[in-house]
Amino acid sequence: MTITTTNSGDSGALNFAATLARSFAASLNVDATVGQALASIIQLLETEAGSLFLLDDTGAMLVCRASVGPVKIDGLAVPMGQGIVGRAVAEDRLLVVENAYEDKNFFKAADERTGFVTRSILCAPMRVGDKLIGAVQVLNKRSGHPFDGVDGKDANMLQVMANAAALAISNARLADQLLEQERIKRELELASEIQRSLLPAEDDDLPICGINRPIREVSGDFYDYFELPDGTIAFALGDVSGKGMNAALLMAKTASLFRCLGKTIRDPARLLSILNREICETTSRGMFVTMVAGLYEPATGLLRYANAGHLPPLIKFPDHLYETVAPDAPPLGILRDMHFIDHEIDLKGGLFVAFSDGLTEFRYGDEELGVDGLNQLLEYAHDGPLRQRLEMVLAELDQGGWQAKDDLTLLAIDDRAAGKAWQRERVPAVAAPAEADFLFGLSFPADPSRLKMMRPALEAAAKACQFGEDEIQDLVLAAGEAIENIMIHAYGGQVKGEITLAVHRLPDGIMLRLRDFAPRVDAGKIEPRPLDEVRPGGLGTHFIRAIMDDASFIPLPDGEGNLLELVKRRKNATESAEATAVAAAGGADSKGGN
Amino acid sequence: MSVANIKEEQGRIVIALEGDIDLENAGEVRKALLANLKQKKDLLIDLSAVSYIDSSGIASLVEGLQVARKQKNELSLVSVSPRALRVLELARLDKVFAIHADVATALAARP
Repeated sequence: MTITTTNSGDSGALNFAATLARSFAASLNVDATVGQALASIIQLLETEAGSLFLLDDTGAMLVCRASVGPVKIDGLAVPMGQGIVGRAVAEDRLLVVENAYEDKNFFKAADERTGFVTRSILCAPMRVGDKLIGAVQVLNKRSGHPFDGVDGKDANMLQVMANAAALAISNARLADQLLEQERIKRELELASEIQRSLLPAEDDDLPICGINRPIREVSGDFYDYFELPDGTIAFALGDVSGKGMNAALLMAKTASLFRCLGKTIRDPARLLSILNREICETTSRGMFVTMVAGLYEPATGLLRYANAGHLPPLIKFPDHLYETVAPDAPPLGILRDMHFIDHEIDLKGGLFVAFSDGLTEFRYGDEELGVDGLNQLLEYAHDGPLRQRLEMVLAELDQGGWQAKDDLTLLAIDDRAAGKAWQRERVPAVAAPAEADFLFGLSFPADPSRLKMMRPALEAAAKACQFGEDEIQDLVLAAGEAIENIMIHAYGGQVKGEITLAVHRLPDGIMLRLRDFAPRVDAGKIEPRPLDEVRPGGLGTHFIRAIMDDASFIPLPDGEGNLLELVKRRKNATESAEATAVAAAGGADSKGGN
Repeated sequence: MSVANIKEEQGRIVIALEGDIDLENAGEVRKALLANLKQKKDLLIDLSAVSYIDSSGIASLVEGLQVARKQKNELSLVSVSPRALRVLELARLDKVFAIHADVATALAARP
């Protein structure tokens, strides 16, 4: 900015003030404003040098923020009350020094350092309303005359201009603060986005769903879940003490640790204990995390969890609500060596609900939602896909005028939806041999009551494969034994485990493939018993080996369950091989199943 | 419907089994055998109406036999259907159990 003026009178100062105000309205930068103000003042007062000082944050030091003249003194700090500048501010009045070296307040250090010779000084404090923000001083009139007195023209002009500059600087500072606020807001938005990315991706194929609604940009709550290779779902819900950025950072740390540890540690209590130690070691005092972590098996409906000082999760059954036991261990981050306890629940088709206190502390006037209120809402939203039901709960609260007081997080597992897992893609099928003709596939729970339903189908299949009556009965027996082995050994009697059976016709017999999704079975453990030993057990495996020509496990990737292949060939196979080959060729396109 | 009928004839308890006996209901057979063995009497198990029996059904019979022998009672099989006999043969238990053509023969076989 350049201000040109031909008359250096009062009107010049007023013009200056007006121009400065106009120009600074557009300026958003304190340093630029300070420099412009000083340059204009020196030009108008026709002085050799000048400097502008602003009080620092402590209010004890005046720091030179701009200087004009043969020597730059930017950055020079003068204690409040010292030197001409320090006194002008301390005493809040304009000072005129006709001969600097005769004034005891003159701060000679600057001249000694710079070689500039100060003759006379005019220094005006700068104020905005009641608040002193600094001072501006001009040195040595170019004319060589000293500045006229305190009531003189120079002094009046400087004070007017100092006031205008003060206002401009103050405005620029406000603008800077706004910019800073804007920057913080953007950073918060970014933090909020990163936090949302820590939450698991929505997967409507899983019987688990969560909702997190922060009360500010960032949240101290979190939830997470992920599916392990065997179909088990690991989940957690946590609430970090406090709100805002520090809570959000601890949330991010806890969530990341859970996601990492949860993939290998299949024991919620142990997982919490390791998390606790980690958080105790590295987290600032006074912060803690309440958390529920667990594992849910969609195949069996079994849920194992541990609770570190968090609100007890609920299980909603069609006809009643079950509140789990109160937490038996303190929150994470309080005591380093803590034991946590695993609890196991059979969900039996119920809805498991973990939540942060932000949910039950929803308020309507003086009324708090509480567990009973939550139960009513869950009852109301009992139908439809899980996500839709959780959203219904929140929509009902919002529309009913309920007010949130805290971050809100809700995580639910719907055991009813567990069966959906059956329709989901499993591992790529292990291709059946080319000569196999796929007859049919069945999928059924590991429930012994299904055995009798299987037998007629197998009998029909064996008949279609041209087995004789006795062989058919044997085959049905062997298949039944293999299925019972899966029920007893692989699923340990858990009747919700899934079993699939694929029946293939071979040119010279039949091939059955039995698949389960249980942990890997050590084939060596299911040994037939010595037959001279009269006792139950092991007999089924003996039957399979006695009846089938081949019984072997086909290797599957770890965590993908077990695949048993049974083959029986006809006794008269060689005689009718030709006839069978013709029959098999007819259905050769329909390969499928396991 | 694994245990069809339980009656006493000439001091022996005759338990008639029927239908398919597998993992689903072998437990009922086992329970019926062990409960009746508490009377310390010989048992005749009628298998004429058994259409299917697998290792779990056989295991129940074996357990009954073991308990019976321990308490010096007999547990015999009567009217064994061809299907059940085939399974007993597969298990090589056809020589372990005493097998009689029918209840009358079994009753006559022992004074």
